[in-house]
Amino acid sequence: MRTQSYIAILGLLVGGLAACAASLPPQDLLSARNAYQRASNDGSTAKINPSDLDAAHKQLNVAEAAFTENGDTQDTRDQAYLAMRRAEYAEVIARTRTTDQATGATVDAMHADEKQTVAGTAAALARSKTALASQDSALASKDVALAAGKVALKDEKTRREEAEKRAAQAMADLAKFASVKQEARGMVITLSGSVLFASAKSDLLPEAQLKLNDVANALIKEDPLSKIVVEGHTDSQGGVPYNQELSQKRAQAVRDYLVSRGIAGDRVTSQGFGPSRSIADNKSPEGRANNRRVEIVVQPSPTGQ
Amino acid sequence: MHNSIRLLLITAPLIGACAGSFPPPTQRLADAQSAERSAREVGANDAPAAQLPLKLAQDQIGQAQKAMANGENERADSLLIRAKMDGELALAQAREKTARVDHLEAAADSAEQKTTNAIQGAVK
Repeated sequence: MRTQSYIAILGLLVGGLAACAASLPPQDLLSARNAYQRASNDGSTAKINPSDLDAAHKQLNVAEAAFTENGDTQDTRDQAYLAMRRAEYAEVIARTRTTDQATGATVDAMHADEKQTVAGTAAALARSKTALASQDSALASKDVALAAGKVALKDEKTRREEAEKRAAQAMADLAKFASVKQEARGMVITLSGSVLFASAKSDLLPEAQLKLNDVANALIKEDPLSKIVVEGHTDSQGGVPYNQELSQKRAQAVRDYLVSRGIAGDRVTSQGFGPSRSIADNKSPEGRANNRRVEIVVQPSPTGQ
Repeated sequence: MHNSIRLLLITAPLIGACAGSFPPPTQRLADAQSAERSAREVGANDAPAAQLPLKLAQDQIGQAQKAMANGENERADSLLIRAKMDGELALAQAREKTARVDHLEAAADSAEQKTTNAIQGAVK
């Protein structure tokens, strides 16, 4: 009886131990519970990756059911192992998505900054273009001015050439009836007295006027600043006072006529020298004829020309 | 009547034999190997967090192949399910590392861009 009781108690104890051993969950299941706990405690995984977290939850339930039904079997451990890995997987995917989103936001911000840079560069470019355009137009207007200057220069040259030609022509006309010489005192135009005046007179002959027109034309072409002196000269026949007066009157007549032909009055003076400046022998008729003359001296202006 | 009883007697053991044998898990092997390869391709070998699950996937594929050779197809099947899961986790870990590197690079680029803008702003 007693022995039987001991055996019965021992049997119960063994049975209890066996039951106890069967109720202890395997390490894999504990790890799976922890892994799922951690994944679901972090609210971000549930928010960002609910589908994988849900799959982990379902797998954990499968493992729990396997343990409840069959205890610590290889299948229970396999299912628990998968549940643990699914929980980890859900977490990793969630973290990766968060990181990717942050990267996307960073890249978007950078692109916005890049756009700003591009806009700034474009604005700078536009300013440069405007500056260039205004430089171009300034250059263009300079070109226009330059071209106009060239044309003006050419016109001026043409005018000058024509004026020189006319002056040369006037001088050539003059040389037909007067001698033109360059002397230290200036250009000297010598007109024979018999061409201009009747004997002992100081009134200009009609043909003398025509000749003096040529002289006036030539003088007008000369430097407008030059001074002109009309000198009257006689031969030595007759008294000196008479000849002095006659030469003075004749010089005055020529001077007045030139002024009437357009030579500025303040440029032209007249002076009589009588016989004092003979250029030829007064003993011969030919020499006396040469001494009877009017000399028009064009004195160069101080600035020269 | 006799014929049908005889047919039943002959086929019953065959059906039982079919239900008891587990076919070789060739598809599961291919899936696990594919997951392991994909993980390596995205750089699981160079991502510290991915190295353990990658090694576990490789070990379990090896164990499963031995089990299949020994005719333990059911055990091989379970090992391959675990190996595939480990391969997928290794891939996810490697992908996470890439994402972190990308983010650091983007942050550096963005900082550089901000400096550029600041300089341009100062020039204006």
